[in-house]
Amino acid sequence: MKRKFAAAAGMVAIASLSLAACSGGSAPEAEADGPVTLTLSGWSLATTPEFQVLADAFHEQNPDVTVELKEYDAAEYNTLVTADLAAGVGPDIITQKEVKFVTTFQEGGQLMDVSDVELPEGIGGASSYEVDGTAYGVPYRQDKWVLFYNKALFDAAGVAYPDGSWTWADYDEAAEQIAATGTAKGTYQHRWQSTVQGFASAQEDTDILSGDYAYFADYYERVLALQDAKAQVDFNTSTANQLTYQGEFGKQSAAMLPMGTWYTATLVSQQAAGEADDFEWGIAPIPQLDESTTGTDNTPVTFGDPTGFSINANIDGGKTQAAKDFLAFAASLEAAELLAEIGITPAVANDAVTEAYFALEGAPTDDLSKFAWSTGDTHPENPTSNKTASIQNILLDMHSAILSGSTSVDQAITEAEDRVANEVGLD
Amino acid sequence: MTTAVTEKAGTTKAGRPQPSQRRRRSKLTLRNTLLGWSFILPNFLGFALLTLVPVVTLFYMSLTNWNIFGTANWVGLANFERLLGDNSFRISFVNTIYYAALHIPLTIIASLGLALLLNNKLRGVAFFRTAAFFPYITSIVAIAVVWNLLFSPEYGPINEILRAIGIANPPGWLTSSEWAMPAVVIVSTWRDMGYYMILFLAGLQTVPRELYEAARMDGASAWQRFVNVTLPCLRPTMFFVTVMLTINSFKIFDLILVMTEGGPGQSTLVISQFIYRKGFEENQFGYASAAAVALFFLCIIVTIIQFFWNKRRNA
Amino acid sequence: MTNLLVPAEDRRELRKLAADPTPDAHRPDKKTPLQRVGRVVGYIALIVAAAALLLPFFWMIMSSLKTANEVFSVPIQWVPEVFVWQNYVDIWQESGMLTWIRNTLLLAVVVTFLQVLTGSFAAYGFSRIRFPGRDVLFLTYIGTIAVPWQSYMIPQFILLTNVQVSNTLWAIILIQAFGAFGVFLMKQFYETIPEELSEAARLDGLSEYGIWRRIMLPLSVPALASLTLLTFVSTWNDYLGPLIYLRNPDLWTIQLGLKSFVSNLYDTDYALLFAGLVISVVPIAIIFLLGQKYFVEGIATSGMKG
Repeated sequence: MKRKFAAAAGMVAIASLSLAACSGGSAPEAEADGPVTLTLSGWSLATTPEFQVLADAFHEQNPDVTVELKEYDAAEYNTLVTADLAAGVGPDIITQKEVKFVTTFQEGGQLMDVSDVELPEGIGGASSYEVDGTAYGVPYRQDKWVLFYNKALFDAAGVAYPDGSWTWADYDEAAEQIAATGTAKGTYQHRWQSTVQGFASAQEDTDILSGDYAYFADYYERVLALQDAKAQVDFNTSTANQLTYQGEFGKQSAAMLPMGTWYTATLVSQQAAGEADDFEWGIAPIPQLDESTTGTDNTPVTFGDPTGFSINANIDGGKTQAAKDFLAFAASLEAAELLAEIGITPAVANDAVTEAYFALEGAPTDDLSKFAWSTGDTHPENPTSNKTASIQNILLDMHSAILSGSTSVDQAITEAEDRVANEVGLD
Repeated sequence: MTTAVTEKAGTTKAGRPQPSQRRRRSKLTLRNTLLGWSFILPNFLGFALLTLVPVVTLFYMSLTNWNIFGTANWVGLANFERLLGDNSFRISFVNTIYYAALHIPLTIIASLGLALLLNNKLRGVAFFRTAAFFPYITSIVAIAVVWNLLFSPEYGPINEILRAIGIANPPGWLTSSEWAMPAVVIVSTWRDMGYYMILFLAGLQTVPRELYEAARMDGASAWQRFVNVTLPCLRPTMFFVTVMLTINSFKIFDLILVMTEGGPGQSTLVISQFIYRKGFEENQFGYASAAAVALFFLCIIVTIIQFFWNKRRNA
Repeated sequence: MTNLLVPAEDRRELRKLAADPTPDAHRPDKKTPLQRVGRVVGYIALIVAAAALLLPFFWMIMSSLKTANEVFSVPIQWVPEVFVWQNYVDIWQESGMLTWIRNTLLLAVVVTFLQVLTGSFAAYGFSRIRFPGRDVLFLTYIGTIAVPWQSYMIPQFILLTNVQVSNTLWAIILIQAFGAFGVFLMKQFYETIPEELSEAARLDGLSEYGIWRRIMLPLSVPALASLTLLTFVSTWNDYLGPLIYLRNPDLWTIQLGLKSFVSNLYDTDYALLFAGLVISVVPIAIIFLLGQKYFVEGIATSGMKG
């Protein structure tokens, strides 16, 4: 046994040495001026053109700098980037796919301070990358949640289109009216926790770090009421049949769909390919909590998280300026126009950007759609904190417990509050 | 049944080895050690470097608060204390044991039964064996979808049948926190039957046919033949299947993740998913490692019990 | 005198059975009508069971012939309205399927070969040769199976990256070929082979290595066949390992390539995915069907008498 311990201790020593050795950075190369290559992490490169668009446009402006894309699996992106960074082979420019993981990278010393990168006025989502006042990333894209609606189904049911003045009560009424005619369900709510919790946190002007979740109650009661009235497919059926929101709205099984703005590009391409039915549709602002934020004179409140770029703290000294230039470019209005042309919702927009987005063939052209897309008070869904991931997991359990009917709303909320206090701890 | 080569060395009538014989014995031991290691070495080298070292690192990490990037600061047993007080961990621990307690006996019975049934020359037996193995090679996504549909409380065929035979309120299966785990056990057993059937089939080949003949000629019934010929000869295989099944049951992860993601609520949360969440989603790798160590001890204690029980039966 | 191939304790039970006076067993020469009906019922039961086992696979095949948005619906569609064979064409022509098959085949064959070879070799050491620390070492082997792979996957990844092996096929071969599973399985099977055989061979002057090659291996063909099949299948279907280690698209395995080909961030074309998975299952099913006879080959007991 003693021999075994000695051997084990030896192995531990070797292992820790190897781990310690690689948490340092890569060896600096002597590359001050001259051509520079930056690696950038992206996902599903074949079907996600935004990275290549930005890389090519930046290269045109800066012929000395080439941005090379490294492909990562979309579903396991964070795990893989984490593994690479831990092994010292991470990309120079780290794409922040989810805000939840920003603090992980930042606390691990993997992100460079980019507070000196200039951002255009009115850019959304920059605060998601700030920790203790220092910016560790730059947003280039910010999807927000809006309401997609099927004009043909509304006409068939004789219900008026959403006009930007709706509260949740108006939404419920329309959904029930359409469902009553029997042609389709009034609306489809996808199974993600964000479809309920995102709106609740944004419109009640609070966030999940408070530890106090009583404000979810009304939103969940509403959803349960819609399910009971058969105005929308219930959570259990949606889970059992693995329904997709693209399928439900695209094949006209539901007349309305609260969803993120990324769906526009998908719907347009699916209609063009025949995978979705050919029908007229539009975008409206998401229903509001009360009249104070409704109407096209006010700013509707919704939620959405940005996608951004950060710089690897272990990047070669000679590449730092090029990397910062790339970040500034990606956040600029110029890049925003390029992104809008391929159907991406950039973090900053002006009239030109909006026109570019809606110039997409097959996109709606009415004013309300343009208003819904370009105007909004977008709250972050995931506050930037190292407690966010744990809290979101607890709220996910609460979400499935309530909507599957296993637990009552109040009891599930109380349990979630207890769990957050017990497992996460709040300061 | 492993007689050693050393036992040929002589002893005095009193049973105590003389000094010269002791020297011979230790030379024999040395020879055996070298011989044994020469067989083990090729596999052991790869195993030690690629599996043992990371696993030992894992144990070390459980005593730190490593978050992958930073340095690992020593915290002693703090992670384990936290585990003891963590409600979610307790729930996952209980769920895991609940799952294993149902899954292990069901799978052994089902796979052994299949192996016995398909160990003969029925026509088309090759097809049936392949069919039994298919769930194991079918994509987990397809399995999850189809079983979700079968278990659908309102439209699913299983509940339709239950209602038809008079059960008024059939269970909610995957949508109910009480019935989700039994539903998962059913799917998991269905999936694993073919895999362990293969192992039992191979084991059944080691039972010499003469013994069956001898027993049959003595008038033993099928059940008696099973209990007195098959089972004893299957003991090494049974030990292997039981240990692997136990460990795999305690470690279950991907099937549950795809079918229920631990829900509804936390009713199907198992230790492996707890580890994954804490490690990869919440980035508390030291803590997740502690949970992995807890899982390891659970498996190893049960395995040791099975090991000694098996050794005693063999001696 | 025939040596029984059974442990001593159980020989006792068999002798007990033999000693009991029981009437002569009725040797059925013809099947009674009842037995024939029983046979038919048995067959029907088997067919129903087989249908239950193949149901998800059937759904998978049917779904591979639908369009993407038709795969999941309420109520479930068992048979597509329009058969979209295009999915299979797309997989063969548009994706890198051939590269993926080549990589997966290479990995599966090499890993299986190494696992079976080193595993059975090491199992001989564990089961036939007694040396100090053997049982503890063996328990260590089993102990590592008890740890879920994702717990030590990161330290392992860091280790392999440091030796520059990550992002090559060698990484997968190294982490899969030297597992404890093969050693454990073969050890258990070697224990069913009577010691007397090796004793006799030793007296004839065969070395331990010779015994392994000429006696143990041929006698454990069913076990070797099982190990081969199970290792092959698990390497063929492995997803997480290749995901972490094989980053270059020309190194991708089938599972990896398919997943990437059919999905983007929000969307997975399940019809296309299932088409690829159906193609992927075919080689395994063929190997299994053709390899059946190795599973049920009996142990040769000749050479024991006399």
